[in-house]
Amino acid sequence: MASLLAGSSKATDAVAAGQRALRLPHFPARAKRIIFLFMSGGPSQVDTFDPKPLLTRDDGKPLPFAKPEIQFNATSNLLKSPWRFRQHGESGLWVSELFPKLAAHVDDLCMLHSVHGTNPAHGGAVMKLHTGSDNFVRPSMGSWVSYGLGTENENLPAFISICPTLAFGGINNWSSAFLPAVYQGTALGNASIPSDKAHVKYIHNARLPREIQQLQLERLEKMNRDHLARSGVDASLEARLASFELAFRMQSELPRVEDLSTESEATQRLYGLDNPVTANFARMCLMARRFAEAGVRFIQVTHNDDKVQWDQHSDLKPTHEKNAREVDQPIAALLYDLKARGLLEDTLIWWGGEFGRTPTAEGVGPSAGRDHNQEGFTMWLAGGGVKGGFRYGTTDDYGYFAAENKVHIHDLHATILDLLGLDHERLTYRYAGRDFRLTDVEGHVVREIYR
Amino acid sequence: MIILLLISMLFDDSLALPQQTISDAQLEFFETDVRPLLADHCLDCHGPKKQWAGLRLDSRTAMLKGGDTGPAVIPQQPDVSLLIRAIRHEDEDLQMPQDDKLSDRQIETLVQWVAMGAPYPDAPLTGKRFRDPEHWAFQPPVAVQVPEVLDKTWAQSDVDRFVLARLEAEHLNPALMADRRTLIRRVTFDLTGLPPTPEEIASFLTDERPNAYAQLVDRLLASPTYGERWGRHWLDVARYADSNGLDENVAHGNAWRYRDYVVASINADKTFDRFITEQIAGDLLESASDDERHQFLIATGFLSIGPKVLAEVNQPKMRMDIVDEQIDTVGRTFLGMTFGCARCHDHKFDPIDAADYYGLAGIFKSTRTMDTYTKVAKWHEHPLKTPEAAAMLAAYDGQLAAKKQEIATLVAQANESARSSLPGLQAPPESLESLYPEATKTELTKLRDELATLEKTPPELPSTMGVMEDEIADVAIHVRGNPSKLGDVVLRHLPPVMHGPTMPTFSSAQSGRRELAQWLTDAQNPLTARVLVNRFWRWHFGEGLVRTTDNFGLLGEQPTHPELLDWLARRFIADGWSLKAFHRLVLNSSTYQQSSVAAPETIDRDPENRLLGRFRVRRLDAEEVRDAMLQISTALDRTMGGSLLQVKNRAYLFDHTSIDKSDYSSHRRSLYLPVIRNNVFDVFQLMDFPDPAVPTGDRSTTTVAPQALLMMNSDFVMQAAADLAGQLCGETEDTTARLSKLYQLTLGREPSEPERIADLAFLQQVNQSFQGSELDDQIRSLKSWSVLCHTVMASSEFIYVQ
Repeated sequence: MASLLAGSSKATDAVAAGQRALRLPHFPARAKRIIFLFMSGGPSQVDTFDPKPLLTRDDGKPLPFAKPEIQFNATSNLLKSPWRFRQHGESGLWVSELFPKLAAHVDDLCMLHSVHGTNPAHGGAVMKLHTGSDNFVRPSMGSWVSYGLGTENENLPAFISICPTLAFGGINNWSSAFLPAVYQGTALGNASIPSDKAHVKYIHNARLPREIQQLQLERLEKMNRDHLARSGVDASLEARLASFELAFRMQSELPRVEDLSTESEATQRLYGLDNPVTANFARMCLMARRFAEAGVRFIQVTHNDDKVQWDQHSDLKPTHEKNAREVDQPIAALLYDLKARGLLEDTLIWWGGEFGRTPTAEGVGPSAGRDHNQEGFTMWLAGGGVKGGFRYGTTDDYGYFAAENKVHIHDLHATILDLLGLDHERLTYRYAGRDFRLTDVEGHVVREIYR
Repeated sequence: MIILLLISMLFDDSLALPQQTISDAQLEFFETDVRPLLADHCLDCHGPKKQWAGLRLDSRTAMLKGGDTGPAVIPQQPDVSLLIRAIRHEDEDLQMPQDDKLSDRQIETLVQWVAMGAPYPDAPLTGKRFRDPEHWAFQPPVAVQVPEVLDKTWAQSDVDRFVLARLEAEHLNPALMADRRTLIRRVTFDLTGLPPTPEEIASFLTDERPNAYAQLVDRLLASPTYGERWGRHWLDVARYADSNGLDENVAHGNAWRYRDYVVASINADKTFDRFITEQIAGDLLESASDDERHQFLIATGFLSIGPKVLAEVNQPKMRMDIVDEQIDTVGRTFLGMTFGCARCHDHKFDPIDAADYYGLAGIFKSTRTMDTYTKVAKWHEHPLKTPEAAAMLAAYDGQLAAKKQEIATLVAQANESARSSLPGLQAPPESLESLYPEATKTELTKLRDELATLEKTPPELPSTMGVMEDEIADVAIHVRGNPSKLGDVVLRHLPPVMHGPTMPTFSSAQSGRRELAQWLTDAQNPLTARVLVNRFWRWHFGEGLVRTTDNFGLLGEQPTHPELLDWLARRFIADGWSLKAFHRLVLNSSTYQQSSVAAPETIDRDPENRLLGRFRVRRLDAEEVRDAMLQISTALDRTMGGSLLQVKNRAYLFDHTSIDKSDYSSHRRSLYLPVIRNNVFDVFQLMDFPDPAVPTGDRSTTTVAPQALLMMNSDFVMQAAADLAGQLCGETEDTTARLSKLYQLTLGREPSEPERIADLAFLQQVNQSFQGSELDDQIRSLKSWSVLCHTVMASSEFIYVQ
């Protein structure tokens, strides 16, 4: 079967035969799949999960140390968080009042408070986050994971991105670059399309009834077999025959997984499908669960509206509140649902943006906001072999710079690959005369967060 | 991957090597991981310049001898080796490097290295070793004897003699010659990217002139569609795109001028030495006319159309990133070299030092690509002072003057009447305007607003992306590529390892691009002509003589036919760098005209067709698939040139809204559809259109299910099929005639009897399946034919060329 599903690229036909096939990880995996909840624009760490009492105390005063050499925009003095923080769960992790429902699940969350990146602009930071590089086109993380692990469901793509943004690197953030095309992410719609209208391109034929299409594929197969017999053995022609079979199966399987109508009303309500505020993101989270169940390896869900959703240079208060309201319940439901189905054990959830925000203010008065901050911010993981109710790393007293146990984006990549059973230094691909890796020459695995 | 495996096998193997015998895997490990580490962290103080504590670490002998405290390394015993103890900071008074402890991984690398016996190659390296200056590709091509062959009848040219000699040496025979139908389809797609029409096929089949095939080649080379096809090949290498891509995906509103320049140059068979020179230094060339001057400026767009991180906040970094992209593109495009590595350290595999990189960087740093570096940065565009521009400007000046005149006239009249209405002795106020009647005031405000608007919106005059000279300066080495850590200044120079061409001297008055172009096109340059002819060969045969078309360095592959490569390179130069001469040479060879069906023995012994004992079956490129479908359904618009971009220059194609502003509905040839980085037209993306952010001389051919979905379900394919069905059904009622026409148009042949029977049965089945729906007979028949056309268009025979 594996050979039938193969994509084939020149001079590697023998290798290509197994491209989509299931592959063993380098070592036993802690997680089999991953759901990345990408908060496009950069949520603020000091307003969500990383409370800073000194920031509250010194509101309006200058930052008592130097700002980074490279900043995106100019900011002024410290701006305290407009939200109250409270400790939750047995672990006592802090969550602000922005995420009341998620707060009930803190004992499953592994907070990384010391994440830092290299690029202060959306484009560079989003590409760095997705591909490990901010100035070259490189394979995205999901492509590396599919390349490393293959697929668990031969009728579905191994890497799916739901409503991704087309800005800031666009398809490069889910493309396979120089890796073989089978490892490319499959996009469902994009960020300008509501999630109930988000489908894979060309998955549906609006003009032909299915039974006629079936006849057509039978005729086509005969033509192609005759042609193959005339041309002599050719791996790519054989692969082409198989690709139509797979396409036909995908055409029935994908819409079945995407179809949320078979979910119980209780489940739909749990995610928030019944509420116009949460419905859009809820559908994406519920689809993510269904894809996870169906064996998709890497599922990305993007929270992005027609602006850059979490990019509050101004109007921090109303807009962060609106954003949080849209995702709080769906994410909490996803955690609950996965856990109830025993899937959280081997599914890694990853939440975060391309950077955080400055504790200093951009603008003044009630409409003030915060600038981009790649120097220190919070992401969290859950499930898939990481400690729950755990916090790792810190930022300084004001939440500007990562301080203890710093986790660079490269380190995060190395760690996530490691959790999936892949050694980031061994997961290489030779292209244009050298071996490439997701982490380039960097990356340190943060084993301290392992359960 | 293989090398990594070898290394891990090495570690598992406890076999000790008492003296130094170095395997390739050890060598790569040393060169990749150990040598750069020693160079970066140790050799400044323990190398040729300084020997602190009497210690040198720049050879194995020196390490074994050690310094004041004894041997630095005891092979296979990392734990007692002083080098390892020092880097582990095990002893208080021996902690190295002093300023900065190595990372755990770096320490582990050195431990592994000592454990494997501290393999350290003695310079100089020879043979297939890394950084080998004797590597074949760095030596100029030599004159080679055309080999003798046993079979005196097969070869039609010297190209064939080289190919046949290899086959004969392996006791293999070339394939039979392809039949004429196959040949005309093959060569027509190859040279024009379009299928031959049934009329063209018929005329070739009945052409009884002895040189009918050579005539066919000449006809195709003279067709303007030839430049559209072969120009596109060059655009792959030039990483051509109509948008910036990367972070700020704004429109390259004028890049199309460069595309059209390429097509025109290829059609005119502009000699390649000239073509290269114009693209690198067009702005510095003497021109005979305004028009030629414009073409030269447009040509330099080659250096400007690369992707740039336009919102990079670190401006010196952005500047050096752009220089880097230019060095990388020039290196890959003309020399098949990857210089990019040497930005941070000496190239690990090729003998290119960081100093060589910054010698090149000086040339591009002295070249102006950008007007501003503040985010969002703006690239430079040359104004084109064309007659149209002059006319537009004159018209605009006329409008401005007319508006001003209108205002002046109104003011004069109003002043006149205001003055006359003043009581005799009263002195007139400074401005009479306050005395104007209301209506006049309103009118005046309106006119002034119109003038202001007009002044703010000058016409967008024709301009073109391109480079010019900047402040001329040599560049300092950037330590580890960091623009804020500068080392010694390096004078501009070209990589000395490339033997042959005269090394130019660089003046303080010019960037040196002209000298670079001269050096690249020097007949003695070991790489340029080889890299070019190898790509041309790839574009004809689907695979290069060197398969790694864009890497001729030490990690590139060896040529399968090294003598043929050299012979072709020298012949290309002797033919005056003429691409059309190359085509005639190659296309008229027996090698090219072989059938794709080979003897089982040949396939057995040469499964990858490295010996060229048959023609390689080729899938159509993305553009060919689309253009062929449009041509067959008679919808192809053959208009040449110009822009189809729907947004203004520098406007966003994709921004935070994710709304797709691209539009691919045009029926022009695929070449003219906008190439949007980050969001390439999905039909192209699926069919392996190359990433337009990097130079590509060797497109890949993948076969994946989404391509099948595209063929089965896309509106584009369905519409082409419906159009074709409409045309067939409109022409005749005769089913056999329709089928014949369908096969002729799509596959260039008549259907066989079994095919005819199968297709008729299929039509009937489909027709019956439509019965249930409420369609009249005629529509049902048309729809059934549409399904059949669709099926044939999706077939392998249509999508592949034999």
